[in-house]
Amino acid sequence: MPDLPLPDLIEDLLGLAPDSAIGALRRQRPEALRHAEGAYRELLLPADPGGLTLAERAALARHVAEREGDAALAAHFAGLAPAPEASPRLVALLAYAEKVAMQPEGTAKADIDGLAALGLTARDIVAATQLIAFVPYQVRLLAGLRALMQEKAA
Amino acid sequence: MSRFTLKPVGWRPRLAPVKAETATPEQLAALDACPPAVRRSTYFLTLAHDPGSLGERGALFNIVMYAEGGLDRADRELSTAVVSMVNGCVYCTSVHAKRFSELTNDEPAMQRLLDEGWEAEPDPRRKAIADFTEALTRDPGATTARHLAPLRAAGLDDLEILDLIHSIAMFANANRLMLTLGDPLLPRSM
Repeated sequence: MPDLPLPDLIEDLLGLAPDSAIGALRRQRPEALRHAEGAYRELLLPADPGGLTLAERAALARHVAEREGDAALAAHFAGLAPAPEASPRLVALLAYAEKVAMQPEGTAKADIDGLAALGLTARDIVAATQLIAFVPYQVRLLAGLRALMQEKAA
Repeated sequence: MSRFTLKPVGWRPRLAPVKAETATPEQLAALDACPPAVRRSTYFLTLAHDPGSLGERGALFNIVMYAEGGLDRADRELSTAVVSMVNGCVYCTSVHAKRFSELTNDEPAMQRLLDEGWEAEPDPRRKAIADFTEALTRDPGATTARHLAPLRAAGLDDLEILDLIHSIAMFANANRLMLTLGDPLLPRSM
């Protein structure tokens, strides 16, 4: 019996068939595939989102994907949850995402303290940071795989 | 002299880490998915506040850096040191520059890279890896098959290039976590 295909966001976004040259190549690192998908699900679609709502998570991921220039990834995140209502908390979260994603060296303890002052727990802050920092992983994996696909098609 | 160093750099978290003795079973299980040498480090204990992401991300990190075959481990360390320099993560740079030096027994090559960058790197394979690493780190959207040509010329096969992409992507992630959740503690002489 053939193995059931596992859901894989990266393949969906690239329109990559599991049995294509690059799909087969990725399956030489099955754990990288599995845990990249697992991290994505833990961060964007956790069973227990704690104090960081699913809508906030999707909005943060979308912001980073947009700023990193990956329109397909940003559109995917936009489709995960309705946009959260505008609030000072959302403004602060998006400002944090902007800094962590685009200028991480410019972050300071005050940024973390600012989130705590808004009522985010240590778990929420770590989850937000993991999420914001994981999208750049996805963006570069997608970009590298697109270059490999382009090379194979040439 | 640049600010990057092979000397050990410390790291001080910006929020109190989880204490190993009071960690929940879920937090302990997530820590156990991380590389043994670091699973009780301050950094991983800080990440343990969110055990779900720590477990998956720790397992991903493990396979990206240590999977058998494919790209030489020293080349992965070279690449992650270069990403860390581009992103300005002095802590990550010191850790991975040191591992490269140990794996290659070529500390002078790494010291030169830390001091002067890779523009004049004499080893063509290392040069190709560093240049591709910088390109994918700085501007992923502009990366095309053209950027792979120097890697092919240096003899890298498909799996080696996939491992390289994974390493570069992993440190886009790792540097952001390190730079955001804590501060580097620089050696006294710097």
